[in-house]
Amino acid sequence: MQNYDVLVIGGGPAGLAAAIAAHKNGAKTLLVEREARLGGILKQCIHDGFGLVRFQEKLSGPEYAERFIEEFRKQKIEAKTLTFVTRLEKTENGFSAVLVNRSGVETVTAAALILATGCRERTAKQVNIHGTRPAGVFTAGTAQHFTNLLGELPTKKCVILGSGDIGLIMARRLTLEGAQVLGVYEAKSTPSGLTRNIHQCLHDYDIPLYLSHTVTRVFGADRLTAVEITKVDEKMQPIAGTEQILECDALILSVGLIPENELAETLGVQLDPRTKGPVCNAQLMTSSDGVFSCGNALHVNDLVDYVSESGEIAGENAAKYVKTIRKEIPIKAGERLLYAVPQKLNLNSNNQQTILYFRSRDILDGCVFKIIIDGQEVFSKKYPFLRPPEMEKLTVDFSKYQLSENSEIQLDIEVKSHA
Amino acid sequence: MNLNQVNKKLDSRFHGAVRAKLSSGCIVLSGELPTWQETVEACQLAATKYSTTHVVNNILCKEVKDIPMRMPKIQDSALDGRTPDVLIIGGGISGVSIARELSKWKLDILLVEKEADLALQASGRNDGEVHPGIDLSKGSKKHYYIRKGNAMFDDICRELDVPFRRVGQYVCFNKEFAKPLVYLYCLYRKKHDGISDTKLISGTDLKQIEPNFAEEFKFAISNPSSGCVCPYGLTIAYAENAVQNGAEIALNTAVLDMEVENGEIKSVTTNRGIIRPKIVVNAAGVFAEDIAKLAKDRFFSIHPRRGTNSILDKKAGAYMHSIASVKDLTISKTHSKGGGILHTVHNNLLIGPDAVETYEKENTETHKESIETVFSKQKRTMPKLSERDIITYFTGVRAPTFEEDFIIENGRKTKNLIHCAGIQSPGLTTAPAVALDIEKMAVQMLRRIQIVEKNPDFSPIRHGVPVLKDMDDKQRAKMIQKNPDYGVIVCRCEEISKGEILDALRSPICVPTVDGIKKRIRPGMGRCQGGFCSPLVTQIIAEFLGVPLSEVKKSSEDSAITFGRTK
Repeated sequence: MQNYDVLVIGGGPAGLAAAIAAHKNGAKTLLVEREARLGGILKQCIHDGFGLVRFQEKLSGPEYAERFIEEFRKQKIEAKTLTFVTRLEKTENGFSAVLVNRSGVETVTAAALILATGCRERTAKQVNIHGTRPAGVFTAGTAQHFTNLLGELPTKKCVILGSGDIGLIMARRLTLEGAQVLGVYEAKSTPSGLTRNIHQCLHDYDIPLYLSHTVTRVFGADRLTAVEITKVDEKMQPIAGTEQILECDALILSVGLIPENELAETLGVQLDPRTKGPVCNAQLMTSSDGVFSCGNALHVNDLVDYVSESGEIAGENAAKYVKTIRKEIPIKAGERLLYAVPQKLNLNSNNQQTILYFRSRDILDGCVFKIIIDGQEVFSKKYPFLRPPEMEKLTVDFSKYQLSENSEIQLDIEVKSHA
Repeated sequence: MNLNQVNKKLDSRFHGAVRAKLSSGCIVLSGELPTWQETVEACQLAATKYSTTHVVNNILCKEVKDIPMRMPKIQDSALDGRTPDVLIIGGGISGVSIARELSKWKLDILLVEKEADLALQASGRNDGEVHPGIDLSKGSKKHYYIRKGNAMFDDICRELDVPFRRVGQYVCFNKEFAKPLVYLYCLYRKKHDGISDTKLISGTDLKQIEPNFAEEFKFAISNPSSGCVCPYGLTIAYAENAVQNGAEIALNTAVLDMEVENGEIKSVTTNRGIIRPKIVVNAAGVFAEDIAKLAKDRFFSIHPRRGTNSILDKKAGAYMHSIASVKDLTISKTHSKGGGILHTVHNNLLIGPDAVETYEKENTETHKESIETVFSKQKRTMPKLSERDIITYFTGVRAPTFEEDFIIENGRKTKNLIHCAGIQSPGLTTAPAVALDIEKMAVQMLRRIQIVEKNPDFSPIRHGVPVLKDMDDKQRAKMIQKNPDYGVIVCRCEEISKGEILDALRSPICVPTVDGIKKRIRPGMGRCQGGFCSPLVTQIIAEFLGVPLSEVKKSSEDSAITFGRTK
């Protein structure tokens, strides 16, 4: 049985960064990836815009991944690809993982685990689409897989539901491939994707965006033949009588991502209902000692640069991990925040460089982000605007503040003027 | 009820718009009505539950649109001139189980199914409960077959390598005062109807067995013999065993016409040629009446009734481990059971189905209202249920007669015909027992014209595709050593390997479509619903067939997944 200091599960951008960081911090590291190649979902993201924050360059997904894969190889970190983790168990000294691949079944042990398992897409049935079950209903990621990895056109004329980033990217991609995108329909009254993608993927290609509209039904016994579009009210409920039928051959869904934490759950890791990822402290350690989380498994990111960053935090801390007693206090995200990560601060750790990620719940103009400790405002930062699709990041030195086990850290957004 | 009474009732309700007439031992209804609901109501008024004097519906219903049967695209002469001893029409659980039992005999058996796979209609669109028969009373065919069928499941599932679990069923009551009455009901069912596993359990016991059930339950009827099985899995397994024993199954083959002479079917026209069978078994589900009509032996009517089930994430599967429903203390006039919660053999939860009358035999669209109705009812059994755990939903169409009983009998006018019709819930449970009887009926019928001998090579044993995720590590490693493809996981949610997919493609009835593979070994059945694995499965199928990706279908001939190469 092979023993490691750190076992990284997932070879996408988060896992690669985590493995490199763990290795650089002296840990004997193994990375396990279920697909044949490293890079995760970036492999199929052939559009550019990756790495602006990190490298001040516009890279394509595969190029961005390649930078980390090169580094990973240069450091001679061990990786097992086409390998699937079927089981994780706690042991006396850490964890054991059962791995399945073409060579058989093997068990490895590690002192610390990094879960970089990414996320999955919400499906048609999870957004209440009814009607028949024809071919031609794809999630945007699946359509992207067919188009970019397999070189196959999944549609000639489609409707895209949801204005999430992958949906916007696919609207452009399919247009470039000669498919007709009838429109992007969004149930919310504001777009879900990044503003830059609305411009670069829709406006530049004259693809209409319809807000407060959703798809309620699909038609077609074999291949999809049409969809029913319905207007929705403020509560996103369909308004009867506003239905219209659009003929098309595919419905492409970009209706949200769900962090994949099924493995984490088998270890009893506590999840945050807001992020759907594990509750973590500033070291990105979950509620289970020695289990770290990063990337889109932790919370859904909009920029890969932050995914890599969280991987590095998890990697470094996993490498340095020694079991100690934790003294954790909650970091509470106020009403105006959609969520904040980390959710906890371990007073027994070094929190000088705590990175906070947060999103606002609504579109807010002219606002101030505040950190309040025990009723005292200790930090504030002005933002001209905050938008839920755009995650914000802050580095805070929590060691400056007088914190005790009974302290309360509260994050809030004060609004000077509403949007 | 005599005819005068029937007509009196019809007159008072429909004011002369509908008349009943006795004709060849059937109650034939004619007239004109505006809606399908009224048409069904009229027929139900005229029908006597479990009677063998059937209502035949000749009412002209204005609402009903003439919807042609979904037809396979293929047109060839592959079956032209075939002269099977037995032609079975319908590849649902009834047809395939009959084919399997008949394959014990040295016979030329041909089963035709119009869809691209088996179990694509009701047999693949139900909840998979193996019923105890607690709601059935003596005198019906349903009752006659239920205990026999239920008792056969352990053996049949072992022989056919199909997972089956007796998880037990609980009908829960929230009114203590009803207990004496229900006790008497159970006693009657037990003593009079032979539903021997029936017992009453207290609310406290129920709480211990299923802690997540509603607090308000005071007691429950328990039937430990109830179980769950994968309904399409069992159908495919039966069919594969039949094929292994020499039966032929022709998919994409629809019956279009029949030539009947002197009360005998001479030939059967299909889209793949004219077949001249010695005898015909009508196991055509919602189309059983249409087949009976073609065979000039229409003495019953089918009124399709659709129902929608939801499947919940395996995480919700941990909420309960049995089958349950809540019982209202009102006399319900619904026929099939009003739905429940079932822990499936694959450890999901299945919620439903509802029951809605429809004239559309093949419309399996889902509707928001069905989900809402079912959830609001089932949350009373288990308040923890949440629509948020839904991973998918589907609709099936039941095929009841107005007498709400099975028709298992020889043709009344046509001599070389056996009907296995009106099969609805609990048709999956009864199928193994019904198949044995139809086997006898068919052999007897054939013996009038030929010698029928045992098939000396018959083997009741079928091996399914191995399920690696259920194996222990050692066994799994051994399998991977033999075939490394078993170590390549393609479907992450259900943990299905490439090796298993290739096995399914090489199985006795190869259906090389994404849905065909999904039904056999479950890639795409998990929480991501094929988001990750469908491109991979498509690719494996294309490689296996040696065709471009755009040739791989989801299910039917017209269900292409992609449209060819990108620029």
